[in-house]
Amino acid sequence: MTKIGLEIHCQLTKLRSKLFCNCRANYRGLPPNSNICPVCAGLPGSLPVLNKRAVEKAAMIALALGCEIPERVSFFRKNYFYPDLPKNFQITQYNAYGPTSIGSEGNVEIEGKVIRMRRIQLEEDPGRLVYEGSSEKTQLTLVDYNRAGTPLVELVTEPDFENPRQVRIFLNVLADLVENLGVSDPYLDGAMRVDGNVSVEGGNRVEIKNVGSFKDIEKALNFEITRQQSLVDRKIPVIAETRHWDEARKITVSARSKEEEQDYRYLPESDIPVIIVSREKIENLRKQMPESLAEKKDRYIKKLGIPAQVAEVLSSDKFYSDLFDKTHTESNAREVANLITTDLMGVADTREKKSELKIDNKAISDLADAIVGNKLTRNSGKIALLELVKTGKSFSEVISTLDLSNVSDIATLEKIIGEVFKEEEKAVIEANTNPDAVNYIVGRVMRKTKGKADPSVTLEIIKKMISIK
Amino acid sequence: MVDRKEIAHLGDLVKVEIDEPEKYIHQVDEILKYFEGLDSVEFQSYKSVQKEISYEDLREDTCEEFLVDGKPLIESLKRDQNNFVRAPKMI
Amino acid sequence: MKIEISATEYLSLVRSGSISVEEFIAKTLDHVHSIEPRLRAYITLDADNALDKARSIDKKMRTGEKVGSLLGIPVSIKDNICTAGIRTTCASRMLENFVAPYDATVVSRLRQEDAIIIGKVNLDEFAMGSTTEFSCFGPSRNPWNTDYVPGGSSGGSGVSVSAYECIISLGSDTGGSVRSPASFCSVVGLKPTYGLVSRYGLISYSNSIEQIGPLGRKVEDVALALNVIAGHDLRDGTTSSGAKIDYVADIGDGIEGKKIGIIKQMMGEGVDGEVISATESAIARFQELGAECVPISLDAVEHSVAAYYTIASAEASSNLARYDNLRYGYDFASEGYEFKAYVSKARSRFGPEVTRRMLLGAFVLSAGYYGKYYLKAQKVREMIKSQIENAFNSVDFLVTPTMPILPFRIGEKIEDPLTLYLLDINTITANLAGIPAISVPMAFSSSNLPIGIQILANSFEEKDLLKAAYALEQTTNLPGVKI
Ligand SMILES: [Zn+2]
Repeated sequence: MTKIGLEIHCQLTKLRSKLFCNCRANYRGLPPNSNICPVCAGLPGSLPVLNKRAVEKAAMIALALGCEIPERVSFFRKNYFYPDLPKNFQITQYNAYGPTSIGSEGNVEIEGKVIRMRRIQLEEDPGRLVYEGSSEKTQLTLVDYNRAGTPLVELVTEPDFENPRQVRIFLNVLADLVENLGVSDPYLDGAMRVDGNVSVEGGNRVEIKNVGSFKDIEKALNFEITRQQSLVDRKIPVIAETRHWDEARKITVSARSKEEEQDYRYLPESDIPVIIVSREKIENLRKQMPESLAEKKDRYIKKLGIPAQVAEVLSSDKFYSDLFDKTHTESNAREVANLITTDLMGVADTREKKSELKIDNKAISDLADAIVGNKLTRNSGKIALLELVKTGKSFSEVISTLDLSNVSDIATLEKIIGEVFKEEEKAVIEANTNPDAVNYIVGRVMRKTKGKADPSVTLEIIKKMISIK
Repeated sequence: MVDRKEIAHLGDLVKVEIDEPEKYIHQVDEILKYFEGLDSVEFQSYKSVQKEISYEDLREDTCEEFLVDGKPLIESLKRDQNNFVRAPKMI
Repeated sequence: MKIEISATEYLSLVRSGSISVEEFIAKTLDHVHSIEPRLRAYITLDADNALDKARSIDKKMRTGEKVGSLLGIPVSIKDNICTAGIRTTCASRMLENFVAPYDATVVSRLRQEDAIIIGKVNLDEFAMGSTTEFSCFGPSRNPWNTDYVPGGSSGGSGVSVSAYECIISLGSDTGGSVRSPASFCSVVGLKPTYGLVSRYGLISYSNSIEQIGPLGRKVEDVALALNVIAGHDLRDGTTSSGAKIDYVADIGDGIEGKKIGIIKQMMGEGVDGEVISATESAIARFQELGAECVPISLDAVEHSVAAYYTIASAEASSNLARYDNLRYGYDFASEGYEFKAYVSKARSRFGPEVTRRMLLGAFVLSAGYYGKYYLKAQKVREMIKSQIENAFNSVDFLVTPTMPILPFRIGEKIEDPLTLYLLDINTITANLAGIPAISVPMAFSSSNLPIGIQILANSFEEKDLLKAAYALEQTTNLPGVKI
C-alpha cells in the first residue's frame, strides 16, 4: 500500500509584525534588506520577543484541525548553518519532553478518509537567497533578510494519504481553511509550501523536497510512486533518501545523502519563556473562530434548505460562500446559491477572474428575488447576472438596459400568441387533444419573446384562446 | 575517547576550522570524562526551570521601523551597492 | 579633590557644587591614562565624549535644567554589553571593530540618568573564563598585585572599580563572572535574580543563566546602580514585571533575627585555609549582628560544575553560531570559498577557550549523547533549584566563600581548563538556580590578596540581600588600593 505524508509550511500573512520583532510581516515587494532590525538580522545582543497574535493564529489552525493545545507552549532552537539564517539557528518548536508545540494529534476528514495531524508548530521563516546572474558562473549568493523572522506554521501529517489525489483535495481544503480562518492568504506566492514523503509496499520512505508550487506536489508524488513501484517490481531496493523535485524536467532527483545526516542539536530557546495557555483562553478562541467549513455546509443544508451537493460546492469556496452570505435572504437563499454555483462559479473560477467581478450585493439579491417571484425566467436571470457582475450596475438598471423583464401583460402576450397560432395552425388543431402540442406552442412563444414570456401566464392564455376557438 | 576525527566532526558541527586538533583532544577528553559524572544522576521526569509567562503578557502585534540615526539598519551592515548581503555560494 | 570616593559621596559633592562633573571626569581620565599601562582594564576609552557629556551636565546644573539622578558618575561597561557609537568587541578577534547600532537597555537607562560612560572594559573572550586571560587584547592585571589575575570574566570591571578608574561598572555574570573579579579585586559585585535586569544588548554566552550585574566599591553604590538598571523591559521577554523597588532606602536596617545557612559543601576540601578563616570570621560577625547561623547541606552541588559547563557550553555553541562574518565582523574576502568553508575559516578567529566550549557544546547536544549529558545537566539544575528553594524555607540567606582559593598568578592555570572550571563551584549555584548573590570584600590574605564573602538570597530578594551585605561591610574596615 502506498503511504504519503506531508509537511506543509504556511505563512501567517495576516499579521502586522514578524514573529519575534516589530518589523513588518508583509515583506513582499520591499527593497532588499529594508525590513530588518537587530533581532531578525541576528545582531549580537538582540533577543526574540514573541508576537501574541502569531500564537493566537497558530492556535486557531491547530483547533480547526482538531489538535490538542498543550497548557505549556515552548520554543526550541534548531541549529544549522545556512546563509539565509541570520542566527544560524532557527527558532521553532519541538516535542522533546512531551508535547510543547502549539498543536498535536489532530485529524481531518476528507471524503470519508481520516488524515491524522502529527504536529503543528510555529516557527520563523528564513531570509531569501537571490542568485546573481547565471547561477553556475557566480560564486556568490545575495541575501535579503526581509522575510527572515516572518511567522510560519508548519503542519506535519501522519503518512495517511493513499494517493496523490487525496493529497490534492486535502491541500485545497487546507488552503480554504486558513483563508477562512483569516490567518493566511494561501494564494500569495510562497505563502504555502509543501514537502512530502512517500513509500510504496516493500520500499523505504523517501522525502521529497523543493516542490515549489502547490500544484506540482501531485505531479511529484505521482512521479515518485511510479519510480518506486518500478524499482520494487524489479526487486531493486528503494533507498531511504531525500529527493529534490526538478521543476523543469518534472522528475525527482536524489539529493546528496549528507543532508540526512544533519544533527540539528535541538535545545530549548530560553530567551522565550514558556507560555501558559489557559483552558479558558482556548475556549474563548474556539468561540471567536469563524464557522468551520463543515459547520457552514451544515447551516446551508439545514437552515437554508440548500441541496447537499450545492452546499458542498458553495461552502468550500471562501470567496463565493462569503458572497452568498452577504446577498441571500431566507426566501431567496436557494436561488442565490443556484445563481452562484451554476452560473457564476463556472465563469469566474480563478482568483484573477474573481477579482475582476464588480458586484453590487443588493443587485444579486434583487435578481434572485425577481426569479423567485416569477418576474424573470432563470434563463434571463443568467443573462442579467453576467451583466450585473460585468458592469456593477443595479438590478433595475440592468433589467431596463437589457430589456429582460418578463412579458406577462396579457394584451401583449395575446398578440404574440395570436401570431404563433397563425404560424402553427396544425399544432393549434392538435392542441385540444395533445398536451405536447400545447407545450410546443408555449415553446414557440418563448422563442419569440427571447425567453421573457412568463411561462405560466402564457399557458393560461393559450388554454383560454384554444377553448374560445 | 575523543580523537582527531571526533574533534574534526565537532569542528564541522560548529563550523570552526581547527588548525591543530591535538591542542584540543586531551583537554576536551578530560572535560567530557568529568561531565560523565552526570550519568549517575537519576532521571525519570524533568520539570523545566524556564520562566513561565501567561499568553496575555506576550508582545502585541504592532510594527515599528528600526532606524539608526534615521537610516535603515542595512546601512550599518556589510552590503553591496544594492543593499544585498553577499554570501559565498552553497554547493 | 579625591577620586577615591563612593557614589554616594560623589553625588553629594556634585549636588552641593563642591566639585564639577567636568573636574571629576577629567581627573578620573588623567588617572586612567597614567595607570592603564600597568592594569589594562579598558579595551576602549571614550574620553572626548565623556568630557563633552560632563560639560553638558555641568551646564544643565548651572541653568537649573533637569539632571538625571546619577549626575555624571563615571561608569565602565563590560565589553560584551552593546553601546551605540563605541565598539563592542567581546574581547574577540571576531568582533574587533564591531560597533553595535544600538544601546543595551542597561546602557540607555544609565545614560538617561546622566551617568557618563568612560569606556568599555576587558573580559575573557565572550565572557568565557574566570581570569580575564582569554581576552584577545591580553589579560587585565590585579591592582593588588599586578602579577596576579583579577578574576573574571568581568575582570576589567573589577579592576576599573578597584583602581578608581570609574565609580561603578557593569559586568555580566554567567557562572560567577561579576563575583569572581569582585572577590579577587576587593570590591562589591552583585549577580541579580534571573529576569530582574534586562539582557537586551548583552551579547549572549549562556542565555538561560546569565545576568548583568553592577560592581562598586561600596554596597550602597551597587544598590544605587541596581535602582537604575533593574526592571521590566519590553525587549527582553524574560524580564519580570514586578513593582519598582528602591534598593538604597533602608539599606542600614541590619540583619538582626535573620537566619543564615552555611553551605557545608563549600567549606571543605579544596578550599584555601585563609579563605576558610575569613569565612568563619564573617560568620562570627553575622552572629554578632544578631543573626543565627546554621550549617546547610546541598548535595546536588556535587554535580553542579559538570551541569553548569554542560548547559553553558551547549548554549554557547548555539549563541555563537551567528558570527559567520556575513552581515558584520571583519574584512575577509569570500572569493574562492564555498559557504561552509568560508564560515569555518572566518570563525577560526575564535580563541582557544571559546572554541573549546563550542566543541563541548556540540558534543553534549549531539544526537547520541543528548540524554547522557544535556538532559542530566538539566535535571541537576532542577534539583539544585528545588534544594535551594527548600533551604530558603528555613533560612533567609546562604553564605559561602566567593572563591575557594586566593587570586593566583597570571598564566599559572591557563593550560588547565578543568581546574579553572572547578573554581566556579561556589558561584555557579546562584546561576543555575536563578537566585541573586553578592560578593563583599571580607579580608586580605597574609600575602595581601583580597578575599570575598558570598551571600545568596531567594529570588527577587535583592533588597534584603543588599541589607545583609551592607551590614557585613560595616563590620570590615578594609583599605583601598594605593595609587
Ligand atoms: Zn526585525
